[in-house]
Amino acid sequence: MARYGMVMDMRTCVGCQACMAACSTENQTPFWSEKFRTHVEDKEQGVFPDVRRVQLPRLCMHCENTPCLSACPTGATHMDKNGIVLVNYDRCIGCYACCIACPYDARYAYDGEDVDKERELYGKNVSHEMPHVDKCTFCVQRLAEKLEPACVATCPTHTRIFGDLDDSKSEVHKLARSGKAQPLNQGLGTSPKVFYIPS
Amino acid sequence: MTFVHQEVWHWQIATYLFLGGLGGATFAISAIIHLFEGCDRKMVSVAVMSSIAFLVIGTVFLLADMLQPLKAIYALTNPKSWIFWGVVFINFYFIAAITYVIPLLEAWPKLEPFIRKIPEPILGLLERFNNLAALGGSAAGFLVAIYTGLLISAAPAINFWNTPALPLLFVISGFSTGAAFLLLLSTFSDNEGAHKIASRLEQLDAVLIVTELIILGAYFNFAMFLPTGARASAEFLFHSPVFIAGFFVAGLIVPLAIETYSIFFRGHGNEGRKSALPILVASSLVLVGGYLLRIYVLKAGMFQFPW
Repeated sequence: MARYGMVMDMRTCVGCQACMAACSTENQTPFWSEKFRTHVEDKEQGVFPDVRRVQLPRLCMHCENTPCLSACPTGATHMDKNGIVLVNYDRCIGCYACCIACPYDARYAYDGEDVDKERELYGKNVSHEMPHVDKCTFCVQRLAEKLEPACVATCPTHTRIFGDLDDSKSEVHKLARSGKAQPLNQGLGTSPKVFYIPS
Repeated sequence: MTFVHQEVWHWQIATYLFLGGLGGATFAISAIIHLFEGCDRKMVSVAVMSSIAFLVIGTVFLLADMLQPLKAIYALTNPKSWIFWGVVFINFYFIAAITYVIPLLEAWPKLEPFIRKIPEPILGLLERFNNLAALGGSAAGFLVAIYTGLLISAAPAINFWNTPALPLLFVISGFSTGAAFLLLLSTFSDNEGAHKIASRLEQLDAVLIVTELIILGAYFNFAMFLPTGARASAEFLFHSPVFIAGFFVAGLIVPLAIETYSIFFRGHGNEGRKSALPILVASSLVLVGGYLLRIYVLKAGMFQFPW
């Protein structure tokens, strides 16, 4: 049993969006509708002439105190034994209460049109057979094979660091423990398991 | 910090929230009036049947907005979710309202043959527990009305919704629309007591509108003085002409003025149908205003993202 988490090193992100492409390919997310499980926010900071661009990669924060899990009436949203917040597609009714409750814009509708398009593109090898609300799973299917999530494996600048937050030897544990990496929106009390090293 | 308009719930959910508040409140007010004031069974039965219809239509809008409406029964799984409680309240409401209304339908001669088909012992039980069904249904109606506000206040990143004022605003607005709908119905009744009831309903609606104005004042005061998405939402509403003119002026101030005039300066007693026009105008405006409130509160919902 682990407590998986991620650290984003914003000092190194160049905004190449390879993570978004890798996630889309791995998880058949509807890029054709511009819906992604992970995004890279491209922000401008400061006032001219003292300005700079900052990239902020984001995805589901896999919160310990999950507003989405509380909002889901069907129990489709649940947390597995490794602390990963997942959606059981068979039980999801698509009421969007979780999308409204999520403070990190981590969820979207994998609707009927997306399911049809996915079938057209992937044939019989579809991952999403019915409409549901979709979100990041930390690539559970890859973790089962001892592989890192697709976005982490693809990132060329080692911006995304993945591991077990409870494993004292892991890089994520050390970064989160040291306070060098901090979660977003801590005031909400959601205890995210994704941390950020500011640029 | 980024403020982003929510693009998740639209007019379909606003319709559901409006009809939920309207249906729940219509039943609660009419059953309470029937219990404590007594009024003609025809009017009460029409009011209750309408309130059931409002909730059925509202539920259809909710289901139509879902990705998998045929699996809706799963919504009775997680008691931490407000939707779970909404389903419980609405179903309890349906059971109580149907139990309550069946004996009342005997007031309609054309429906009597259908009522008579119900076995006598069951009809006797329904009659016997009529008051209990009225009270239980009223409680459920109140809970349905307040649930519509609780549902959307469960959004930690939408500051404008995530406040205790919103459920209060929705429940008071719901009861105001319920009173307005019953006022509308009363104008179609020939019954002697209808004017007395209309007078009471007018007083009730005026008090509810004043309460709504107080809650709105506190709500916007809270929103405008916080440097959060709540302020952005409040500013959005202040700059929405339909919200200001349609909801605030036409949906609250004008009906309040008409009702205040009617309460203090115009008797109901012998004027009969002459007095129906102001009631019709005020009630219709309250109903349209109530719908606009839900539409615009949903439109104004802004996520406050930390990037």
